[in-house]
Amino acid sequence: MWLCSCAKPLTLQLQSRPPSSIHSHVRRVTVTTSTLSLRPSSTHVFTHNVHFQPKLKRASTTIRCSSALTPQLKSTLDKVITTNKVVLFMKGTKDFPQCGFSNTVVQILKSLNVPFEAIDILENDMLRQALKEYSSWPTFPQLYIEGEFFGGCDITVEAYQNGQLQELLEKAVLS
Amino acid sequence: MGSRGAAAAAALSRASRIRSKLQSALEATVLEVDDVSNQHAGHAAVRGSSDKETHFNVKIVSPKFEGQSLVKRHRIVYDLLADELQSGLHALSIVAKTPRETKPAQ
Repeated sequence: MWLCSCAKPLTLQLQSRPPSSIHSHVRRVTVTTSTLSLRPSSTHVFTHNVHFQPKLKRASTTIRCSSALTPQLKSTLDKVITTNKVVLFMKGTKDFPQCGFSNTVVQILKSLNVPFEAIDILENDMLRQALKEYSSWPTFPQLYIEGEFFGGCDITVEAYQNGQLQELLEKAVLS
Repeated sequence: MGSRGAAAAAALSRASRIRSKLQSALEATVLEVDDVSNQHAGHAAVRGSSDKETHFNVKIVSPKFEGQSLVKRHRIVYDLLADELQSGLHALSIVAKTPRETKPAQ
């Protein structure tokens, strides 16, 4: 029998919020196991008549998960960044950014008339933590172009100023 | 550096800790670290948090960035500051150049 009493059960909050489809992939998950003690057969009845009763124990087995990036979430993220040419993981929405850095990138993309998918990481803390691992990048915004991590705000601004961003986006949108 | 060094480090301001971590690892010829947290106080992600020292601008000129893409350079800086990022450092604006890139045009 294995019990881990230290960590709380791992739960992910279900948030279904259109139009961002990614949130509907993060589901509530709890893990349980059961243990069953078996009644010994009659040949093993002891002379002092100790009877064992079968016990159905339902124990909450907890998994200490140090990674927010579950395989399911990873494959969801893979799908999101490959099915959309330009994806921005940001704080707030593209119409209501909630952070200056995120807003800067939104304004740059809007000024270039580039269609892009914007995903609000403030909505979902598990997603927020998972993305930091997924991108090996600890901050937001995070810009993906054609399935590859491009950079955060500083890198996007620099590339916009030297024209590299426009070049890359044009290639992405036309391909 | 033993635990004494770690305890001493914790007593320093975040800016000092950032400065010393980057300086020692990157042999920076130019290193500027500015705490701009007050410019971001009140925005969504830090609202309600009692942490100061949440947003910094960092400018580093280091030969170790030679041949590295911008993303790689930023990742190097983030990795060096991983502890800070786990303990309340919220955002970093990074300018990462090599000495060659900062030479004035002739």
